[in-house]
Amino acid sequence: MSRGVTRRPLLGLLIPAAVAVLFIALPLIGLLAHVDWSNLPSQLVSTDVLTALRLSLECSVIAVVISLLIGVPLAYLLARTSLPGRRIVRGLVTLPLVLPPVVGGIALQTALGRTTPIGTLLDHFGIVLPFSTAGAAIAEAFVGFPFLVITVEAGLRQRDDHFEEVAATLGARPWRRFWEVTLPLAAPSIAAGAALCWARALGEFGATITFAGSFPGTTETLPIAAYSSFEGSGQIGMAITLSLLLLAISVLVLVVLRDRWLGALR
Amino acid sequence: MTLQARVRTQLGTLRLECDLLVPSGVTVAVLGPNGAGKTTLLRVIAGLQPVDDGRVEVDGVVFEDTATGTWVTPESRRVGFVFQDHGLFPHLSVLDNVAFGLRARGVDNKSAYARATEWLERVDLARYASSRPSALSGGQSQRAALARVLVTDPRALLLDEPLAAVDASGRLELRRALREHLSTFSGVRLIVTHDPLEAASLAERVVVLEDGRVTQQGPFSEVSARPRSAWIARMAGLNLLRGAVSSGAMLLEDGSWLTVATSVEGPALATIQPRAIALYRQAPGGSPRNVLRRAVAGVDPEGDRWRIRLEGAVPLVAEVTPAAAAELRLADGGEIFAVVKATEIDVYPV
Repeated sequence: MSRGVTRRPLLGLLIPAAVAVLFIALPLIGLLAHVDWSNLPSQLVSTDVLTALRLSLECSVIAVVISLLIGVPLAYLLARTSLPGRRIVRGLVTLPLVLPPVVGGIALQTALGRTTPIGTLLDHFGIVLPFSTAGAAIAEAFVGFPFLVITVEAGLRQRDDHFEEVAATLGARPWRRFWEVTLPLAAPSIAAGAALCWARALGEFGATITFAGSFPGTTETLPIAAYSSFEGSGQIGMAITLSLLLLAISVLVLVVLRDRWLGALR
Repeated sequence: MTLQARVRTQLGTLRLECDLLVPSGVTVAVLGPNGAGKTTLLRVIAGLQPVDDGRVEVDGVVFEDTATGTWVTPESRRVGFVFQDHGLFPHLSVLDNVAFGLRARGVDNKSAYARATEWLERVDLARYASSRPSALSGGQSQRAALARVLVTDPRALLLDEPLAAVDASGRLELRRALREHLSTFSGVRLIVTHDPLEAASLAERVVVLEDGRVTQQGPFSEVSARPRSAWIARMAGLNLLRGAVSSGAMLLEDGSWLTVATSVEGPALATIQPRAIALYRQAPGGSPRNVLRRAVAGVDPEGDRWRIRLEGAVPLVAEVTPAAAAELRLADGGEIFAVVKATEIDVYPV
């Protein structure tokens, strides 16, 4: 990369770049500086924190499972077929990426709320999505699943259907080709997509609080709990502890996935 | 078992119009330059590429017939296709690769793996059974791909450029192994290649495909001795001339005459070995010889015979010794007289 004429960096670029690094680093340093390290262990194992953590993991994992079940088939169809309207669908899928999460939450409310046709129907079966744990998972899936679809589609596009053709000449029918050739070859991108989707779901705030509210033990996930204690009860110490926990999880995801899974994105 | 194909199809800029008959027990090589439609032809037979108009039949089973709308999916054709890149699944072990076709056709795992293991031993790859294909050399992966196809006992065996992905050092050995496996396979055997050496060593018959059309077919020795196209002539290292013969004189396309020793009359082709052409700076005397005025266009040294490209309306290639080339100052270019005896010109009807 940096050879020949570009080896010596331009000073005029170095300064804004340094500002950029500080821009990311300073808030993190600030957060770490305000951690009450002596009370941290007891806060981390307090019921409130553990409840929020358990709920966060639960909702985000459900969100990933939902995304996998509907996102992988969609990515496959987008990448490998010439179904009409693919471009429109692709645009639709990427919309949640740029849509303010609050708008997503309101939109979910208007589509799946108790008084809507679907909400009424679900009500018959005793299922209520708004302000429930399931609703929080749905909101997280809504925001997270575009990451999965985009990553898996890119992964599938990287290869043409050569190996599927090979499998066909060897006698494999379409479903066998899908399960034994297409999916395993797309595994790295599926894993990377699932990781991104999970990370996004874990940090999800806007759509979740709008669609599912913030009820401790039911819908109050880690980010919502952090916000509640920061804004509502003025417990900035607890807010910092929860933030630290989220930060630790993020760093962990980054470290674990960097080479093994996110490599598929490069 | 016989393969019969009539193919008429447009693919991008290529128009493929080709009739093919491959009886079993005879290895046929489709030989032609790159982009002639050779691979497309194999893909049509395997069912990976539908045709606009045509019919494909193997062993009495109609795979495709545009007249009746017949179409058999590739997975139901039982046609063994060894791809140019061998197409081994990178996520499966070599053994899993070889067992894939049997399992896909419903053979239970136990016997599928038993037969796959047996085939790996036959192609001398048993020790690589649990390796990934990426650990194999070009020749090994070719053998694994061959085993993967043969284990399923296909109706036809299609090989696309079988030695292209193999380095030169492994070719000799692999060619021998390939010929052995081909001879024990009783179904239809069809090879596609751009390499005349491969066609000559692996196949009993060649079908020359150029620009989507068959230009010539027959045993390799016949095809290369009496080429019908410039490409085959170049491949065989011969000068090819086109013209018309009338009582011992051949009128060439550029209007010049050659004295020939033949009983052929009418439109004809003629070949001249490059080494049968003698070069002189001065027009030589003496009657029974043909003297063609040309310009030296280039000199390609090749060992003890240098190839001299001669420019003219009908270009020629001559071969002389390096000493003669130096003496005649051929590297300087300039006008030259090419002399050929009538008896050195092989004339045959178009």
